[in-house]
Amino acid sequence: MAATSAYPPPPPYYRLYKDFIQNPKSAPEPPPPIEGTYVCFGGSYTTDDVLPSLEEQGVRQLYPKGPNVDFKKELRSLNRELQLHILELADILVERPSQYARRVEDISLIFKNLHHLLNSLRPHQARATLIHILELQIQRRKQAVEDIKRIGRK
Amino acid sequence: MDIISQLQEQVNAVAAAAFNTFGTLQRDAPAVRLSPNYPEPPAGPTPNPNPNPNVNPTEDAANVTEQSKVMSAALVKAAKQLDALVAALPISEGGEEAQLKRIAELQAENDAVGQELQRQLEAAENELKLVQELFSQATDNCLNLKKPD
Repeated sequence: MAATSAYPPPPPYYRLYKDFIQNPKSAPEPPPPIEGTYVCFGGSYTTDDVLPSLEEQGVRQLYPKGPNVDFKKELRSLNRELQLHILELADILVERPSQYARRVEDISLIFKNLHHLLNSLRPHQARATLIHILELQIQRRKQAVEDIKRIGRK
Repeated sequence: MDIISQLQEQVNAVAAAAFNTFGTLQRDAPAVRLSPNYPEPPAGPTPNPNPNPNVNPTEDAANVTEQSKVMSAALVKAAKQLDALVAALPISEGGEEAQLKRIAELQAENDAVGQELQRQLEAAENELKLVQELFSQATDNCLNLKKPD
């Protein structure tokens, strides 16, 4: 028979709610929602869901920073860089095979930049979806107004 | 699937094509002769007892070149598809502020149309109530005119 340790007891706060039925105000309020960062099972999480920039992840950013990034241009140039680097890796493997590590690192850097660019397109997509939904809603409402007018006139 | 997910899938496909190509080449490439002093590299990884042992080295080399041509063609095709998908991105110039401005405009228009709709709805409901009232009066009159026998 394996010796199992018992589960820890539940927190003792239940005693505070003894008179809840008679007087709901005698018991403490529930804790307010957490803001900022919190620790859960040893891992720290944040309530602010934002895409961390590349520098925060320790990755060099290859495309120019700034308020408005031209996504199409940067994606295309990163694609061409990627092809060049793959060719370079093939060449290096033929000429000097021991120096593959630097090239492989460059290729993975390009991929990380590519994915980060695509991820930062998502807020733009969300706003565009919202615009589309609002336009559809306006169209439906206008149609409903027209229908009411038409039926009322008949 | 939306365009951004397709782009992400295509980037991963390019990566997969690249590492599959290099991995296959590394695994299947025949041994290379480093110096004329060393003997000829052995034919294949294990000497297998099959009827024609001479077919293996040339066949392997032909296979490898054939495979590498096919794989590199696939890699280039994946990269071209990525380019095509990037060109298909429906991104309009203006960025975040233009989008936010458009959202505010649309919200204002939505509110205006919503109020108009509400007004029309109320007018129609009043009319309906009126018609229902008149109809019930008419039916009452009809019922009252009919003398019970």
